[in-house]
Amino acid sequence: MDLTLSADQRALRSGLRDVLAELWSAERLREAAASVAPSRTAPSSKDWRSLAELGVFGVTVPEADDGMGLGLADAAVLFEELGAALVPGPLVPTVLAAGTVAGAVDGDAVVTMLDLRAPVLLVEHLDVATHVVAVDDEGLYLLPSDALGATPVETPLDPLTPLWVVPAGRDVPGLGERIGSAGDAAGWMRSGAVLNSAMQVGVARGGLDLAVRYALERVQFGRVIGGFQAVKHLLAESLVRVELARAAVLVAALTIDDPEVGGVEEAVAAAKVLADEAATLGGRSCVQVHGGMGFSWEVLAHLYLKRAWVLETCFGSADDHAALLARISFGHE
Amino acid sequence: MDLRFSQSEQEFRHGLRSWLAETIPTLPPRPHRDDWPARRAYDTGWQRGMFDAGYAGVDWPAAHGGLGATPTEQLVFLEETAAARAPYVGANFVGLLHAGPTLVVEGTDAQRARYLPRILRGDDVWCQGFSEPDAGSDLASLRTTAVREGDHYVVNGRKVWTSMAQVADYCELLVRTDPDAPKHRGISWLILPMSTPGVQVRPLRTAGGSSEFSELTLDDVRVPVENLVGAENDGWRVAMVTFSFERGTAFIGEVIDSRNILAEIASIARSTPAPRGGTLWDDAALRRDVGRLTADVHGLWALIRKNVSEAAAGMIPVQGASVFKLRFTESRQKIGDLAAHVLGRSALAMSDLPGLAGGRNGHLVEDRVTTLAYTIAAGTSQIQKNILAERSLGLPKEPRWTSR
Repeated sequence: MDLTLSADQRALRSGLRDVLAELWSAERLREAAASVAPSRTAPSSKDWRSLAELGVFGVTVPEADDGMGLGLADAAVLFEELGAALVPGPLVPTVLAAGTVAGAVDGDAVVTMLDLRAPVLLVEHLDVATHVVAVDDEGLYLLPSDALGATPVETPLDPLTPLWVVPAGRDVPGLGERIGSAGDAAGWMRSGAVLNSAMQVGVARGGLDLAVRYALERVQFGRVIGGFQAVKHLLAESLVRVELARAAVLVAALTIDDPEVGGVEEAVAAAKVLADEAATLGGRSCVQVHGGMGFSWEVLAHLYLKRAWVLETCFGSADDHAALLARISFGHE
Repeated sequence: MDLRFSQSEQEFRHGLRSWLAETIPTLPPRPHRDDWPARRAYDTGWQRGMFDAGYAGVDWPAAHGGLGATPTEQLVFLEETAAARAPYVGANFVGLLHAGPTLVVEGTDAQRARYLPRILRGDDVWCQGFSEPDAGSDLASLRTTAVREGDHYVVNGRKVWTSMAQVADYCELLVRTDPDAPKHRGISWLILPMSTPGVQVRPLRTAGGSSEFSELTLDDVRVPVENLVGAENDGWRVAMVTFSFERGTAFIGEVIDSRNILAEIASIARSTPAPRGGTLWDDAALRRDVGRLTADVHGLWALIRKNVSEAAAGMIPVQGASVFKLRFTESRQKIGDLAAHVLGRSALAMSDLPGLAGGRNGHLVEDRVTTLAYTIAAGTSQIQKNILAERSLGLPKEPRWTSR
């Protein structure tokens, strides 16, 4: 049993950190958030290929298929970094589709997803996507991104997550090719929930780092506000949630990598509940610690909270996962 | 990174599991919680049984009579004993988890030879004399004095929150030996035999109604100088060594308890009719609450495994213990509240009531009250948050208010 990062994992992480510091700096984030045209918010296809070169999309794809042949736990380490840097784009669906959709490993294909079970059908990042994977309880369906006839949402909540709405009544499975069974769809949702949770841990950590830096700079009453216990405790509470969620996400990923350990569904549900909590409450605290500036568009605090609010709706809500966990653990009735 | 246990860890687990399966059914019934001599006899008897079977001092080095188990084996030990509902360390807590490990690191050879084997065998019970009426979170402001007179210290003062004092043989005692030094620098760590004249024990009733703790009055108590552990006036550092053992893995069994209580809450909810038909378990909000607290249990268990892995890799856990304690204690109190929610007015009795939750309300209500102490003992949640904010996040330290 070992839950510490291996030397390889640390190297993978620091390689990605270096690239993200260039590709997706705070200045770039601010610029993207200020942009009116949604297409300017996502990574360019050049950025996307830089991520692909590091192996981000093919991390769990076998080496024979040009991937890195690593596990979901390794992917989770990378996705925490992508979350911490608030990298936009359909990252989780693309990595889930890699190995199935040609070109995804290299960054040539960009895959977004559509959860058909939602009452309103919304798709993220349709402009940069080449493909859409639609999911329902019966299976997975692959469509070209222009097949949906979707229209852009005028004002998305998160300026870095542009949205499109699919007209009601459209037979989406009929427009696509069935590429996975009901079991594959369940597996897609489980692995997706883990990577989405890893991103949430990153969002929570990134928001906490930002808040700590601000608390060490901002002076009121003649001292930095980070010296006040009320602020210290708010930030310490965020740290506790980050650490708890990170441990739960790693265990969930490792459980998927090694199913003999058992308890996959419980581990995944717990990770999603704790990661959503860490990111949403952490994002709120980040805004709060920034005071009035936290409510401004110029400071990045709101972007962390808004991303947390986006990701908490993906791959099942925390409420859904909590209900599932109670049912698996203690029975339905 | 992996979640598997090695061959030798699995063998350790299976050996322990079969010993527990044989031994637990032969134990006498648990004594009443207020019968201290019986509790001492029960807890030390269990310790003696573990000693005879070779399981005493699982985390102690083999050179000092312990098992010298790896951090992962310690985790396996605590997991298996909790799962088998074996007795907890109880009266042996301070000896096994505080004083003994402190003597291993800081004691003289003579002190180790004299005290350690007796702790492992369950012969001696220790208690803790650290806190005082005016020295709680600000422990370093303690005022109990020890004045050197020849080959003795003469000790005067008061100590509180001393568990098991009524039945203890020794007390790990913090005293002020230099009243003129800065508060952290004038403290010494002494071994006090509880039979020494001048030691008075007054039970302190807790909110839970039991007398788990006592107040000690020390009136011209003469302690031999050979009972000094570490150097004179170096007791604060020695106490920090003691605390480093406390915030580690002591709560592992309790995480398993948390899950058991959640199962009990679900079971009571399933058998309790709801006012408008069906049962309480039909309430989706209740199931979500149970699910969220179950997620906490999973997260805490993951965190334990992460902390243990870090210890096994020789990393010094900086924040793991504080993170764990903060979340575990908060979560455990929420579980107590949720139990009370499903019990309804049956949560008003700490003794068992007849009826649907029959025989099950008492210990859940007692647990709800007992866990009030969890966010206070061993470093309050507020102190833990200061520790994390300062040591992990690098925020400014609290100002050094002087209390003397």
